[in-house]
Amino acid sequence: MNRYFKTMRLFWTTSLAAEMEYRTNFLISSFTSLGNLAGSIFLIHLIFQRVPEIEGWSFDQSLLVMGFFTMLGGVANTVLRVNLSRIVQHVREGTMDFILLKPIDSQFHLSVRRFISWGIPDIAYGILIVLYAGMRLGLGPLEYAAALLPLAAGLVTLYSLWFMLGATSIWFVKVHNVTYVLSNLLAAGRFPIALYPVAMRLFFTFIVPVAFLTTVPAQAMLGRADWLWLIGAAVFAAVAFLASRMFWHFALRHYTSASS
Amino acid sequence: MKSFAHKLRTITGVQYAALLEYRAEMVLWVAGTVLPFILMGVWMTASAKADLVLQPVEMARYFFATFVVRNMTLVWVVWEFEQQVVKGTLSHWLLQPMDPVWRHFAEHLAERFVRLPILVVIGVVFFAVYPDALWTPGLWDIPIALAAIVLTFIMRFSVQYTFAMLSFWTERAHAIEQLWALPYLFLSGMVAPLALYPQAVQQVLVYTPFPYLIWYPAQKVLGLPTAAGSVEVTLGMAVGVMAFWTLVFILANRLLWRIGIRRYSAMGA
Amino acid sequence: MAVIEAKNLTKRFRVADKKPGLWHTLKHFVNRRYRLIEAVREVSFSIEPGEIVGFLGPNGAGKTTTLKMLTGLIHPSAGRVAVVGQTPFQRRHDFLHQITLVMGQKQQLIWDLPAMDSLKINASIYRIDPVEATRRIDELAGMLDLGEELQQPVRKLSLGQRMKAELLAALLHRPRVLFLDEPTLGLDINAQASVRDFLRAYNRQYKATILLTSHYMADITALCPRVMLIHEGKLMFDGSLDALSARFAPYRELNLEFRHEIAREQLESYGEVESAGGHAASLIVPRDRLTHILDELRNGFDVVDFTVTDPPIEQVIGRLFRTGSLEAAAL
Repeated sequence: MNRYFKTMRLFWTTSLAAEMEYRTNFLISSFTSLGNLAGSIFLIHLIFQRVPEIEGWSFDQSLLVMGFFTMLGGVANTVLRVNLSRIVQHVREGTMDFILLKPIDSQFHLSVRRFISWGIPDIAYGILIVLYAGMRLGLGPLEYAAALLPLAAGLVTLYSLWFMLGATSIWFVKVHNVTYVLSNLLAAGRFPIALYPVAMRLFFTFIVPVAFLTTVPAQAMLGRADWLWLIGAAVFAAVAFLASRMFWHFALRHYTSASS
Repeated sequence: MKSFAHKLRTITGVQYAALLEYRAEMVLWVAGTVLPFILMGVWMTASAKADLVLQPVEMARYFFATFVVRNMTLVWVVWEFEQQVVKGTLSHWLLQPMDPVWRHFAEHLAERFVRLPILVVIGVVFFAVYPDALWTPGLWDIPIALAAIVLTFIMRFSVQYTFAMLSFWTERAHAIEQLWALPYLFLSGMVAPLALYPQAVQQVLVYTPFPYLIWYPAQKVLGLPTAAGSVEVTLGMAVGVMAFWTLVFILANRLLWRIGIRRYSAMGA
Repeated sequence: MAVIEAKNLTKRFRVADKKPGLWHTLKHFVNRRYRLIEAVREVSFSIEPGEIVGFLGPNGAGKTTTLKMLTGLIHPSAGRVAVVGQTPFQRRHDFLHQITLVMGQKQQLIWDLPAMDSLKINASIYRIDPVEATRRIDELAGMLDLGEELQQPVRKLSLGQRMKAELLAALLHRPRVLFLDEPTLGLDINAQASVRDFLRAYNRQYKATILLTSHYMADITALCPRVMLIHEGKLMFDGSLDALSARFAPYRELNLEFRHEIAREQLESYGEVESAGGHAASLIVPRDRLTHILDELRNGFDVVDFTVTDPPIEQVIGRLFRTGSLEAAAL
């Protein structure tokens, strides 16, 4: 296990070092992240300008959801997108061979190989918004702690779905287009799931489980989460993660390796 | 002039054939523009709870219109041009007796024709699921809406092609487009109908290019009046503001092109 | 005890049979047709520890597919394979620690960083402690004649330096079996030679087994006492280079010396005249008719002396690769 942590640390430090070759990216993205944040808050303000609450969600509570969304977006940019979009490239260029021949779990290798600093500002802004909204709602440390389990479950779920999608590139080389659709669908996590019409709510709960990513952590913080939901989120995450591992092993059996 | 039109038509035709190979991806790219529908859902719920100027069904129409406008005015020239400069492939196009801008323009034009049928299918599905949102346009609404979309596209293309010129100086010209994407997202009417913005903001915005990128053509697609705050955006005013910004960017573009191309050839393209 | 053992190794691929064009795409969508391609057919061989074996064959002959089955990247459709006593496809860590794969046209080093960073990652993945890793890097760098290059971003290295660095990265864990797929592709003559020298030295020093494919005959002739020739998925030949040329170069060069002056026209009915003039001539004749032709010549002329030589191996296999077919090469 220790070796995996050590390797991951090496992966990330070398990744950061490689990125330093293009460091303006970080400046630009921290600026655009800030603009995005201002725009998003402005948008929530517009929605709630004439009404104190919609479907049981107030401005501050929606801000909480937005904070989680920004945070997850940051995580997605920092490790998920950059690694999982590479799977396609590894398959197409045949460099997957090198990864499969390393005596280290290939799913682990593929998932944490790269680390991109551009997402860090979003993670920081996200945490700040959650803290700010939490302060306005008068939440204490216990409430913050309550969000941790569903947040972790949400992250694992997101990772597992994304990885499985990436793994299909063993068969379909043009998967990145599907990934593009998925990451756009995730934008629905910006708002509490209750703000959507019923059909969309169902879609974003059961088909693309955006609800678990941002709304459920916020609900947990607000003390409104059913135990059933929390357990559901944890079970769902565990199942999704196991499924991703099984799916990867299944996919590898079909890996024919790009010829020469 | 005639030969130019002929050339442009030929290139567009060839590009169309080439892009047809990507129609499966195109379906996903169009399906990827889900943001208008996400916002539609939120705004429909919100407008059902409070008096927000627009009724839920009007919200649905508005965001469907923004979906159409966004897809029909999509521009990506900065990424392509940047690659051409970085990899040096621009040189091939420079050797041809036609300004490269027309090649890009033709490619965008051709792409519209591949995209349009997919938009029609999505439209049919949308109105089948939500028939209340269907509206009947007036006789003149259709040509006016088309003209508005064309003007919007030309403005967007001019702006982005101007950003593309910065590729002569930096490898990350698209970063400036990413900055531009912020006001495009939040001030164009993409995330909310302009009428919901504070009065003062609306009054300032109508003199900037942003509302004309989404809000104005969307209102025209719906055949709705275009007033922002106390300012009535007449047809004349819209054309005036759009023409002004388009010209500003075209002038800047030609200036940057001249200096940039000299720099490019000096570096041994 | 063989280090690589393959028995009736077979790989079949199912490929979609689709013609280009919209109509055929639609047709394919509705009614998929597949064709079974036999990339490798019942190939059997065994390689002893320390051997260097050259794997020859025209493009698409099945070399890379075989290599990938031996490394465990793809699963054989039939047959058995064992490398260092293990089943490759299970890709057990214990197995992966003992092998390596180098591909001339693919790289594992991080493009934007010095090779040293990639080497550190590999050391960690293969559980080599930092002190030992540094020692091995120094040793291999010495053999490869690499120095400061390891501290420069990989993208700034020349192709030859990059290949050497790739080799270093691939050998850091001291594998017992090396699979090399076109390791000298695109390198200039000097770089090719130094990669070859290194491989020979590595083989001697660590008693490593090497199986390599190459398009450069010089690699094969310089390194491989034994070659295997694969064509259309079948193993056509397994043996020494000399035996290969005997089998696939069915021509001999016959150099003759006559007592009397001789004219070109007089010899043309006996074979392809390469040169003729004065008392000497040289003929190209099919190997199986050599004795017969020689007898006839001695009956018809006063032959003082003669020698028989083989055409150079490069020429034989070069012809094989160019034509892509054994039948054509044998003509």
